[in-house]
Amino acid sequence: MNINATLLAQAVVMIVFVAICWRYIYPPILSVMQEREKRISDGLEAAKKADDSLEEAKLAFDKELNQAKAEAADILEKANTRASQIVSDASLKAEAEAEKIMVSASSSIENETNKAKEELRQQMSDIIIDTTQKILGDEISKEKHEDILKKAAEEL
Amino acid sequence: MAKELTTESYIEHHLTNLTCGKTPEGWTCDPYKVEQMGFWAFHVDSLFWSIFLGGLFILFFKIAMPKKINAVSAPTGAQNFIEMSIEFVEDNVQSLFGSVKNTLIAPLALTVFVWILLMNLMDLVPVDFLPVLAGHIAYAVAGEGVEWIKNPESFYFKVVPTTDPNITLGMAFAVFVLTIYYSITVKGLRAFIAELTLHPFGKWLIPVNFVLEMVNFIAKPISLGLRLFGNLYAGEMIFILIALMLFFSSIPIGILGFGLHLVWALFHILIVVLQAFIFMALTIAYLAMAHETEEH
Repeated sequence: MNINATLLAQAVVMIVFVAICWRYIYPPILSVMQEREKRISDGLEAAKKADDSLEEAKLAFDKELNQAKAEAADILEKANTRASQIVSDASLKAEAEAEKIMVSASSSIENETNKAKEELRQQMSDIIIDTTQKILGDEISKEKHEDILKKAAEEL
Repeated sequence: MAKELTTESYIEHHLTNLTCGKTPEGWTCDPYKVEQMGFWAFHVDSLFWSIFLGGLFILFFKIAMPKKINAVSAPTGAQNFIEMSIEFVEDNVQSLFGSVKNTLIAPLALTVFVWILLMNLMDLVPVDFLPVLAGHIAYAVAGEGVEWIKNPESFYFKVVPTTDPNITLGMAFAVFVLTIYYSITVKGLRAFIAELTLHPFGKWLIPVNFVLEMVNFIAKPISLGLRLFGNLYAGEMIFILIALMLFFSSIPIGILGFGLHLVWALFHILIVVLQAFIFMALTIAYLAMAHETEEH
């Protein structure tokens, strides 16, 4: 249990070991640990950011969706009104057309009838005059009895 | 010259270092010539284990850390253990040092802690195992020719370096030197001298101040070294006494000795770790003091 040069030797040995640890052992281990720590905290931060942006995207998505829905409803409504408009327009137009056709048809029928009547009258008066001329000879002529003929024709 | 194995000789054998030094006839490790060696003698066993275990520490921390530093993958196995010890040391340094930046402190604390822990753990190796093994090896190597190795059983070989005051005080001395170095470089020589001379009593009682502060200053490394030595020496002593129960008494006491041995070994695990921790914490604390500029 004497105190001797072992003490000095141990002090030197200790300084050597501490120096080795200080120079070669400690720094690389510490840098690895710090690097990893940094990576982990970076990763966590990135995850949080991603989470936030996901939330944001969800909100934006919902907003867009709602807007699109509203637009679609709007368009649908417009289309509906337009369609009913078109239908009613068309039916109005058709009715008008039908009436027009009816009117023109009835007027043309009347015309035809009148025309036929006129022709008939003409032919009738011609026949009468012809017949009467044949019976009475030249006593009677178309020119002399024009008034009477006209009257008769009108009575027909 | 083989001595009879008695209780005293057994204890003495376990508490004596293998000492090598220079005698008038030249270098020798003869235990009967220790007296002639004077100061310049070395406890070869203590130094061997101290260097061996220190080397083990360096090697383990170098090898267990992967060569290709990969900060992405999770650490495994021994790397976890290393990172745990580093974190433990960093926490302790952080709590005592705070904002002061000195890259030496943490590696110093780590070295001190792991190294002392390993040296203390040698205490848990059965007391007779390594000394007798070393005796037989020495006998096989040196052979019959050397007078003092003739009896392998009485070959002096202490395996716990921290039960040697030279080792503990040597480490405390190294810490002391570092303390002085940092006191001077951080505070400046003038402030350091002022600290040692100008209080507690002011500048009119400089000699008294100096004596008081000097006692305080020197007591730190001595108490640091002796605390570790005392604890481990006492622990080793109890192991030896329990071992004596096994060999020199009746069977019931021998059986009791077995039980006590187990109990003491379990308890000693606590002491081993605790003393290593205390030495480390005090080392950090003393160096932290060296960095503090006291304000009065």
